[in-house]
Amino acid sequence: MRRWGWLAAPGVAWLAAFFLVAFYAIVAVGFGNVTDLYEPVPYWNPLDWNVGYMLQALEDVLPGGRTWDVFVRTLLYIGLAIVLSLAIGYPVAYYVSRHARGRSKVVLLVLLVAPFWISYLMRMFAWTNLLDSNGYAAEALNALSIDSLFRGLGLLEGDDWLGGQPIAVILGLVYGYVPYLILPLYASLDRIDQRLIEAARDLGASRAEAFRRVVLPLSKAGTLGGIVLIALPMFGDYYTPDLMSGSPETALLGNTINNYVQGGPDKALGAALTLLLSAFLLVLMLYYLRVLRREEPAA
Amino acid sequence: MNESSGLSRRGLLAGAGAVLAGAGLAGCENTTTPIATQEGGAGEGIMGDPTAGGPVDGAGIPLARRDYPVTLPNVADPVKAGNPERGGELQIYNYADYLNPEVLQAFGKEFGVSVRVTTFQTLDEAFTKLSTGRFQFDVIFTAPDHLPRLVGRRLIRPLSLDLIPNLRKEVWPELQSPFYDVGPRYSVPYTLYTTGIGWRNDEVSLDVDELGWETLWRSQPYRGRVGVLDDSREALGMALLRRGVNNLNTEDPALLQRAAEDLIELNEIARVKVVINGYETLPAGRMWLNQVWSGDMLNAVISYLPEGTSADVLSYWFQKAGGPVFNDCMCMGVDAAKPVLAHRFMNYLLDPEVALENFVGYVGYQPPITKIDADALFAQQVLPENLRNCVVTPEDYASGNAYLALTADGRRAWDQSWAEFRNG
Repeated sequence: MRRWGWLAAPGVAWLAAFFLVAFYAIVAVGFGNVTDLYEPVPYWNPLDWNVGYMLQALEDVLPGGRTWDVFVRTLLYIGLAIVLSLAIGYPVAYYVSRHARGRSKVVLLVLLVAPFWISYLMRMFAWTNLLDSNGYAAEALNALSIDSLFRGLGLLEGDDWLGGQPIAVILGLVYGYVPYLILPLYASLDRIDQRLIEAARDLGASRAEAFRRVVLPLSKAGTLGGIVLIALPMFGDYYTPDLMSGSPETALLGNTINNYVQGGPDKALGAALTLLLSAFLLVLMLYYLRVLRREEPAA
Repeated sequence: MNESSGLSRRGLLAGAGAVLAGAGLAGCENTTTPIATQEGGAGEGIMGDPTAGGPVDGAGIPLARRDYPVTLPNVADPVKAGNPERGGELQIYNYADYLNPEVLQAFGKEFGVSVRVTTFQTLDEAFTKLSTGRFQFDVIFTAPDHLPRLVGRRLIRPLSLDLIPNLRKEVWPELQSPFYDVGPRYSVPYTLYTTGIGWRNDEVSLDVDELGWETLWRSQPYRGRVGVLDDSREALGMALLRRGVNNLNTEDPALLQRAAEDLIELNEIARVKVVINGYETLPAGRMWLNQVWSGDMLNAVISYLPEGTSADVLSYWFQKAGGPVFNDCMCMGVDAAKPVLAHRFMNYLLDPEVALENFVGYVGYQPPITKIDADALFAQQVLPENLRNCVVTPEDYASGNAYLALTADGRRAWDQSWAEFRNG
């Protein structure tokens, strides 16, 4: 085992260069300062750290702070996007893994991977046309009365899908990230031993019960893995709200960070906010890892 | 292309050529050097000798005002005259859709180079990216209030005016040595603009000419189809003007705070979008009411009007007295790999024929070129009559208002107010 350790060297070097160093640069900027010409001045030595921006960022994301509303909105949109993604993704992954056979399974898998061939931005641009007043998607959604459902939930106002509507951003997120949810879900569902389900049925479980008591628990790790995989990039996303809405009313935390870092004088604040977001995501990540460890003996 | 409007790109150019031919005599007369603006703020930032403690920006450069011209400090040597570099790529940094691709192609052909344009969305973003020092652009497009920061950060290099003879020969006299860059040392003017409101008169029934900036705050019926410029100065400035504050360079935190609150209120009223592509979304009917720059409306007609839509549905308004009327400019990157060619490029864009093709053939922004008689372009229906007010007259320019450099604290106050609005 030990003599194969060097195989990990390229990966370790890669992570060190492109993750650890880059991450530490953000830390140094977040705990650094900004000149009058808006140049961030990173403080590399932790002894020099200036905690002012971090305290400011912290104050901002707490209730009543300047970014509190954005934070809550981000959680809400991403939460809804995950629920919708699961509603769409789970049945698809389930069908492909457990019911598709032979050639059709291969075709379906290729189709699942197909969206990755087109750049995310291009796919979002396509949606801006599809959701336009005369767009096919808008007409289809209206015909299916899905618009009134969202209107009831307060996510859509009027019938202009692209008029800075929360639902357009949420649908954009779902559409953009759902393939990343389906693939790990598929892998985990595909691994479930068919005999376990047969055993459940033999022991008198109905189809629904077998699903609820066997398949669902066994796919928990895969489901959570998929959720983590889509939630993390969603929290950093700023171009989906920009393209699908463009209104500050639907701005996410990613937009706030982008605004701070790209234009204004508060680059250090942007970096501090990034660190806070990372810390928050780390908590979610730890929960996932804990679940994974508990699941492992069963798997 | 757009039969209904009676305009096509080819037609525009044919007509434009005729205008240019007869333009030699019709050039605008020399208006006197710009007078001091009548600003409400009691002349902040325009007091006396900077060495005597006058206001300076974040780089220590005195704040230029119309009645206080500033010579920007020398941070590098200008390039020596020489033959233009050939081959490779000329690197340009600019807004999107702000240069006629055909003009770029023609330049490339003439000088044996391929022209590559990298785009930015906002000037603030451009400054941030340039500040990293990782880019080597030959020509950088910017606005006068950004010049001192670019100089202060040593991101641009002085020009050799010998290599840009068209500046003295063809450009409006009042812009040959502008107050924001006396000489000029770093910049040559590119286009003129006013900032105003563009709207679809077939959808919006508010009386914009009567309401002015207030229109946006009354645009509740058009929620979701209303936009403001993605530009920290312009959007906040609009909120200031609406309240009758004509000093667009105010640094009063209370005024800026109120401007941010007004924008947030506007967001609640109209769920505004923060965009700079009104030239595309207004003609397409996606947006109905948008804060725009004057050139956007002509650009909309020239390049983006869908078939079957008449140019007549587009209208433009700008604030005659005290509203923003200014110009954009071009400069050379400090690490320009092709400095001589960069000069040639600027000179090329100031050539009357090229400037006209760039203007009426694509971008819609009028260059400050004496031989281009904008009135004649309307008279000959090269440009649509209903958008005649998209052209900047020397009188407008002389009496107009402008966003200019601010002190470090002032700039910070503006940008923080802007962030407050942007963060929703």
